[in-house]
Amino acid sequence: MEDIIVVEDLRKIYNKDILAVDGISFSVHRGEVFGFLGPNGAGKSTTIKILTTLLEKTSGRATIDGLDIDKDQAAVRRIIGYSSQEVGVDDDLTARENLLLQCSFHHIPKEKAIQRVEQLLETVKLQEAADRRLKTFSGGMRKRLDLASSLVSDPKVLILDEPTTGLDPQSRQDIWEYIAELNRQGMTIFLTTQYMEEADRLSDRLCIVDQGKIVAEGTPLELKARIGADIITLSVRSDDPEACETASTVIAKMEGVKEVGLCSVGISGDKGLTVMAHNGSAIIPQLVRLLDGIGVQIDQLTLSGPTLDEVFLKLTGRALNVVERKGAVKGRGWGKRGKRP
Amino acid sequence: MMMEWVSETAAIFRRWNTKLVRQPIFIFFSLIQPLVWFLLFTQAFSAIGDIPNFKQLTGTASYVTFFTAAVVIQTITSSALAAGLGLVNDLESGFMDKMRVAPINKSAILFGKLFSDAITIVVQVVIILLIGVAIGVEIASGLFGVFMILILSAAFGMAWSGISLFVGLTTKSDQTTLSVGLLTTFPLLFLSAAVMPLGLLPAWVQEVAKVNPFTYVAQAFQSLIIEGFVWDKIGNALIAISIIAAISLTASILVFRRKIR
Repeated sequence: MEDIIVVEDLRKIYNKDILAVDGISFSVHRGEVFGFLGPNGAGKSTTIKILTTLLEKTSGRATIDGLDIDKDQAAVRRIIGYSSQEVGVDDDLTARENLLLQCSFHHIPKEKAIQRVEQLLETVKLQEAADRRLKTFSGGMRKRLDLASSLVSDPKVLILDEPTTGLDPQSRQDIWEYIAELNRQGMTIFLTTQYMEEADRLSDRLCIVDQGKIVAEGTPLELKARIGADIITLSVRSDDPEACETASTVIAKMEGVKEVGLCSVGISGDKGLTVMAHNGSAIIPQLVRLLDGIGVQIDQLTLSGPTLDEVFLKLTGRALNVVERKGAVKGRGWGKRGKRP
Repeated sequence: MMMEWVSETAAIFRRWNTKLVRQPIFIFFSLIQPLVWFLLFTQAFSAIGDIPNFKQLTGTASYVTFFTAAVVIQTITSSALAAGLGLVNDLESGFMDKMRVAPINKSAILFGKLFSDAITIVVQVVIILLIGVAIGVEIASGLFGVFMILILSAAFGMAWSGISLFVGLTTKSDQTTLSVGLLTTFPLLFLSAAVMPLGLLPAWVQEVAKVNPFTYVAQAFQSLIIEGFVWDKIGNALIAISIIAAISLTASILVFRRKIR
């Protein structure tokens, strides 16, 4: 597949000693959604600012649609749309005015601009609020408008820096739908996120970044398959106190099973087993038959896939979601470099 | 290229004007401030007009008439020193990034803002002159003189805005931008011929006033109000304004280039 963004050994050093981006290389295929997943301070925004030509790189090379981000700066700006983490909209203007202003920055003739704005307002469902000033807008509405404003020029590549950070679940859902729809229409999308779910749901391929480096790259499925395994949790109904142990020995011998552990299941603390297997759904029928054969009755059985959360944890030894798990990561050097411009 | 620059600058110019009109507080203050100045100074210091040499030095016995120039200057500078605030705000809100990623000329961002500041100042000066006329100030140079005053005001305003833009872009702090503005404007105003004619100032203040650009701008305004067109005074004002503009605008363009890619 053809690459639209190519980044080679990109490096950014702030103030001579803060290494924000440490020699990363990756490429984005034309027409895909490419995710950059990592915690605060991983170098995501810095990478985005370099790609959008807002920040000068220290070394390395990057091209978008064959255009060098330094040498062809102006041309790059014509083919990208960018929505920043800060939401760059003007609160004193109305939604429509904001979009029209953005149109004039892209030299879209007036009549075409009016049409385009109407169309964009419809896309992000802001027609009714179109002539209200942004002061009265919710966070989700502002973000939707910001997304619309990055689309006025119908860019080849849309670059989104944490598109849903700080949004409520409904707004997040909306933004995800727009992103998916834009991608269906053929737009290449590069986005950063610190949410596993977002990266998993939206991206065709993704990089996991941590402390300025790419620690893993692949499709969400690949990444999950590489590091994690499916987990089958089952509880057994038996008067025999040895039933679990017996079952565990039998299961451990099955093909495709990585690991079997004893555990207690549910609130009642019933005896149960945790089975880790490469392909969980495929071995379930066999597993059920096997247990049936030795007279162990299954009470409950659940299958869960590995999550990117686990992937990140395994790769870096740390949990990803800083906001939700602040207590757990305190004192481990998190965010000591602070938030970067 | 040129056409693009014009349309970009115009778009940014319109944006600032819209923003301004939508800030009722600003409009209120831009009316109230000159009124307060007129009232405070002319009521408290009306006796200045009776100082024996005053009429001889200024050409008028009315302190209000003389003082009109000072109100104009004070309004221009306080308006101009707020210019950098808008850009600081844009830097913080992410709007600057949004503009930069769009394929527009960097200078359009600065000049759109400067022209908007200039038009604001022109409107404010018109209001001051109207208030002045209402309380008895006669403008000797007539309508053309008023026109000249407005041109000088716009030019002086843009030149002075440059300082605020420079401080704003350098420090990226609205507090600092405001303080620097206030700290430079007030001493310069009182150490010039704007509030008192040169001849009535203490000797050391006179020395300072002679190198203070405010003096030349004030004298041009005073002559247009009191005497009519005195071209060498207008010329001096233009020279003073050009020097400030050359320094402040060059500095802000340079820092803008360096800070904003």
